[in-house]
Amino acid sequence: MIKILLDRNEPSEMEVRKHQNFDQILAAYQYQQKVNNPWRYWFYLTLVCGLLFIV
Amino acid sequence: MPLQLSFQQQSFLQEEEKTLITRAQTDSRYFAPLYERYHDAIFRYVYRRVDEEEKAYDITSNVFVKALQALPKYEYRGLPFSAWLFRIAKSELYQSFRDQKAQRTVSIDKVVLQQVVEEWVEDYTELDKQRLMNSLQKLNEQQLQLIEMRFFEKRSFKEIGQIIDLSENNAKVKTFRAVQKLKIIFNQKE
Repeated sequence: MIKILLDRNEPSEMEVRKHQNFDQILAAYQYQQKVNNPWRYWFYLTLVCGLLFIV
Repeated sequence: MPLQLSFQQQSFLQEEEKTLITRAQTDSRYFAPLYERYHDAIFRYVYRRVDEEEKAYDITSNVFVKALQALPKYEYRGLPFSAWLFRIAKSELYQSFRDQKAQRTVSIDKVVLQQVVEEWVEDYTELDKQRLMNSLQKLNEQQLQLIEMRFFEKRSFKEIGQIIDLSENNAKVKTFRAVQKLKIIFNQKE
């Protein structure tokens, strides 16, 4: 079932800009990159194993 | 209304855009000018299709995060960059409808609705307006999208085709069929 809204007020361009900016988007993207990076878990483990192997 | 640009201006903008995209593909911070250029259009596209402003902001934000993620793989294939963003927006919107995070909404100006009805009936009444709104409910999603973009958002067939992945001609034909279907449903109620 769709909802039909008549003569709906749209926020102005300024309001939209105030509400959302590129820095927030970039921060969200960088956070996701960090979370999705498989090296996040393996890097330290590999490092420890490497060091143990050397020792 | 879309801005009419000369061929030279269009190709200059396309070249400038390609440069911006190439730079953004190497460093996501350079995506800012593209974001500034298209954010408002994408937000409005989403806003008109969901019932709450906050949800529109969330979905728009997801669209740009997804765009940044997919940007390294982006290849220019003759389609404007905006069409690529609109397709991501469309996919994010339908994802949120499937997850029931947002309600499918159609935002219409009363004046535009009246113009559509007046083409079909001689004496326009408030009842006809309600009938048209009820008829819209009976269209399938693609037909609704076509009517929405063509009549309520005044987009060109070329742009509609680019957004929903159809050729300009195909968009024209399918919109014509959607209007025919809407007329049939509208007249059935008499």
